[in-house]
Amino acid sequence: MEESGMTLFVVLNKIREEQDPTLRFDFVCRASICGSCGILVNGRPTLACRTLTKDLPDLTTLLPLPVFKLLGDLSIDTGIWFREMSIHTESWVHNDEKFDLTAQEERMDNEIALMIYEAERCIECGCCIGGCMMTNLKPNFIGAAGINRVARFMMDPRDKRSNQKYFEVIGNKEGVFGCIGLLACDDNCPVAVPLRGQITYVRRKMASVGWKMK
Amino acid sequence: MILQCSYQKGEDNMQLQKMMTYNLRTDFITEIIQMVSGLLLFLFLWVHMLFVSSIWRGAGAFNVLANFMDRWGLLPFTIMFLIIVFALHIGTVLRRMPSQYLEHKVVWKHAKLIHHADTWSWVFQSITGTAIIILAMIHIAIVSFAGINAHLSALRVQSREFLIFYIVLLLLSEYHASVGLYRVFAKWGFVNRHSMKRILNFISLFMIFIGAITLGILYTLGA
Repeated sequence: MEESGMTLFVVLNKIREEQDPTLRFDFVCRASICGSCGILVNGRPTLACRTLTKDLPDLTTLLPLPVFKLLGDLSIDTGIWFREMSIHTESWVHNDEKFDLTAQEERMDNEIALMIYEAERCIECGCCIGGCMMTNLKPNFIGAAGINRVARFMMDPRDKRSNQKYFEVIGNKEGVFGCIGLLACDDNCPVAVPLRGQITYVRRKMASVGWKMK
Repeated sequence: MILQCSYQKGEDNMQLQKMMTYNLRTDFITEIIQMVSGLLLFLFLWVHMLFVSSIWRGAGAFNVLANFMDRWGLLPFTIMFLIIVFALHIGTVLRRMPSQYLEHKVVWKHAKLIHHADTWSWVFQSITGTAIIILAMIHIAIVSFAGINAHLSALRVQSREFLIFYIVLLLLSEYHASVGLYRVFAKWGFVNRHSMKRILNFISLFMIFIGAITLGILYTLGA
């Protein structure tokens, strides 16, 4: 049944077509852009659509990602988790300046833009969350995806949040000081977001804020 | 999930007991204490190894150092230092360790599932840490009651139980220190963690080698 360039995504579709029409799994884009098909392949979190069957052993176990709400078989709801994380970290640009519809958009340093883009490459597949010991143990911990999200706003000069405000959101055990540094997130990220870099960036920044705080 | 339990944003659901005990920096300070106490213990491990390996230059050199420590009251000072730093380290790392049966199960299942070396090393870190608490307590108690000199140490390792005890303590503490220091670098950045791991592995093996030779010398002295 092996075909050239066959991915797990193809296999799952074949199983559903030929063997079990009730099989539940998530996919949309089949090109590692949408982040829907995060699963555990032989225990390792990755995307079904970018896993080639020729790289897998004869016996392969598929499991849904832990931590997220299980819908059935391999299907999970990452949306609930990411929505709550977004609200918790207030994932929007905080800016009280009056918006001028006619004014030219403010220019941004190319370097900063690239740094923000690096964080924004996250496709929210949840592989970092499913592979993390801490999120498995403590569901309140926001994990690498959450810390990466906050890093994105910290870098953004348009976000006028104070360091104190960031510290309140992420300078605690639910945030960056809850990370125990196993870095399965960094090792398993299917789109290679530099998660260790993001975590250390936020950790160092928050440490300096915490150090100076009265 | 996150929202229900969040008390960072006071307006969401502040409760009296959380308001009265609220301190923004608690988790940050705990993290720093854990790291600094760990680094101090790492440093102590090295100095300790340096002092003990004075036996390489004979029982005389070892005893000179031991007498020096005795004369200046360094032994009780060191023991006090160790008790305080150990207490701080244990007190702060305990919050990371699973405390309930179900949490233990989650940890083991997760570690077995994801085939990730650093995740396993954290499990071993908890185990070796717990073992070191007991072994180090025995070790410190013996040393503080019996005192330090080459003759005593040499005689002690003659008993097979003690020899095994010291070999196990050596291996566990070097492993724990190595992984702990690696974790500090992994968390705070600054260096490439993969090359750091290789360097630390090498250093630990080197320390184990020195420790093994030291034990060997003490053993032959006693025999």
